Amino acid sequence: MASVNAPMEGKVFKINVNVGDKVQMDDEIIVLEAMKMETPIYASDSGTVKEIKVKEGDSVSEDQVLLVIE
Amino acid sequence: MARKQTPLRPYFETMPEIGKALSEAEIRRSEDNVKLIKEQEDIVAQAVEQVKNAGVPAETIRQKGQMTVYDRIEYLVEPGTWLPLHTLYNPVDNEEGCTGVVDGLGKIEGKWAVIIGFDNKVMAGAWIAGQAENILKVTDIAKRLNVPLVWLTNCSGVKLMEQEEVYAGRRGSGTTFFRHAELNKLGVPILNAIYGTNPAGGGYQGISPTILLAHKDANIAVGGAGIVGGMNPKGYFDAEAAQQLIDATKGFKAKAPGRVETHFDETAYFREVHDTEEGVLDGIKEYMRTLPAYDPKFFRVAEPAAPKYAPEEIDRIVAANQKRPYDVMQVVARLVDNSEFMEYRPDYGPEVFTGVAKIDGFPVGIIGNRQGIFPKYPEYAEGAYAGVGGKHYRQGLIKQNEFVTFCGRDNLPIIWLQDTTGIDVGDLAEKAELLALGQSLIYSIEKTDLSMMCVVLRKGSAAAHYIMGGPQANENNAFTLGTPLTEIYVMHGETAAAASYARRLVKEQEAGRDLEPVIEKMNQMVKDYEEKSRPVYCAKRGFVDEIVSLPDLRNYVVAFTAANYQNPKSITPVHQMILPRIIRG
Repeated sequence: MASVNAPMEGKVFKINVNVGDKVQMDDEIIVLEAMKMETPIYASDSGTVKEIKVKEGDSVSEDQVLLVIE
Repeated sequence: MARKQTPLRPYFETMPEIGKALSEAEIRRSEDNVKLIKEQEDIVAQAVEQVKNAGVPAETIRQKGQMTVYDRIEYLVEPGTWLPLHTLYNPVDNEEGCTGVVDGLGKIEGKWAVIIGFDNKVMAGAWIAGQAENILKVTDIAKRLNVPLVWLTNCSGVKLMEQEEVYAGRRGSGTTFFRHAELNKLGVPILNAIYGTNPAGGGYQGISPTILLAHKDANIAVGGAGIVGGMNPKGYFDAEAAQQLIDATKGFKAKAPGRVETHFDETAYFREVHDTEEGVLDGIKEYMRTLPAYDPKFFRVAEPAAPKYAPEEIDRIVAANQKRPYDVMQVVARLVDNSEFMEYRPDYGPEVFTGVAKIDGFPVGIIGNRQGIFPKYPEYAEGAYAGVGGKHYRQGLIKQNEFVTFCGRDNLPIIWLQDTTGIDVGDLAEKAELLALGQSLIYSIEKTDLSMMCVVLRKGSAAAHYIMGGPQANENNAFTLGTPLTEIYVMHGETAAAASYARRLVKEQEAGRDLEPVIEKMNQMVKDYEEKSRPVYCAKRGFVDEIVSLPDLRNYVVAFTAANYQNPKSITPVHQMILPRIIRG
């Protein structure tokens, strides 16, 4: 299992996957927004999305777990 | 046995490698980006096609036994070296849809030149609105790069119906002859290939360059034959006056003055006369061979090398979505020789990068914006806000000032890669002296005598657009390129609308009035900003000198660099350069 963490503070702008989706390493899975800029977050591993811990519009802090890939 | 090497080999022969191959995921993810860029390229290409087809059809000119200006350029320059500039420039939106001149950089007989010709499809090469500004931009480039200016003259004189748009004023068409005089004074040669009938302003256009070569049917004169004499004007026209004019015109037999019989046989202004159009251009080539140019090895610090990674991949790297970050070093890796870069102070001022690279074997300085978020930076705002790529902060401004100054000392031409939203604002920024440091960068640039080229990769905004060697740096900026992703405006449309209407919204609400009309105006303003910042608009208004596809940037960078080192006015011995030593420490 691998968790995908927020690299910085920001808001969850977009979630591109659902629980159960298969993802490949480096797929764009979440987009954070901070300072009017979008920061794409990529899957660190290939696998299946097991859990999404945030929803669009949530504020997140640096290093917060965004989702889990199994 | 003689032993030879390039200078300062331990610094320049092999420099630190930058960039990396794109991953499969990056290639997969960037498909949409490539499509979005292609859409913009198509819009630009459509506009370019309209300009090229301005005036009468090319076939009409060819049927008269003449070449079009595009035919002449094609014959003159070495294949693959023509790099057009100002193609879409038409600042006053004249009805011709262009400025009536075609210009760019090209190589003739192995030497770079700035080349400009009248578009003989458009009113036989008349002076039309916006043309003088176009020509002044071109003479500025020749002056800045210190390379020959080649004219393909074919100028019928003022479009008389709009003389007020072209003739008078400080930057009117006659100003261009003073620029020719200035170039001659500075030792920048101007070669002139003369075709067709060139009266009045066209005559000065013919006479003002350094070397005049004519086609057998060409003429240059103080005034044309079309000004029919013998009339007694009443101050207005009536049927009687019209009839007099018809009779006089019918009986008019005089040939155009200033023909070859006069200016070759009598005055000997023309150095050569050729029976064919190609012959004149061959004459220009022959004169190009006589002009001074260093052998490139005089200034090269390494053998020329292509970038290790393909320039075509830049379309996959620079994000079409302006809110998305990208790794600009991946762009640099696809512009510079062998994808090598000696970065100056990489740990200081992370929002910008500065460093030395090789282009076609010549050393250059490169400065640009990094993208992304910079937590715990700038140091003066820690805890208040994070740094964001594209903005300038104290350290980055200090670093750029230092780097420009050292480049000036080492005679390294500078390539700016702008993607900037501005300089940090607010009380903290003021206390951090950003206003003065921005102006200091302007001073640092002006204090050098360097040529610079500027690429607005995506955003050119606020003061950062000009402090980063933008076109406003008149003495240094040779030319500025836009890309299919370029946006140039003082600030984003939404920011501008908020700044313009925020108080009005408050007032309207307090008065209990409907906000919708104000909101509508705000949205109109956003739309207006968007339309007036797009690539074609930027090129048409002259905010940039050409829109170039991202992969084509490498060709322009090579031409700019090689032109700089063709015949420089000042030389720093490579073994005495200080910047490589400072970088290595």
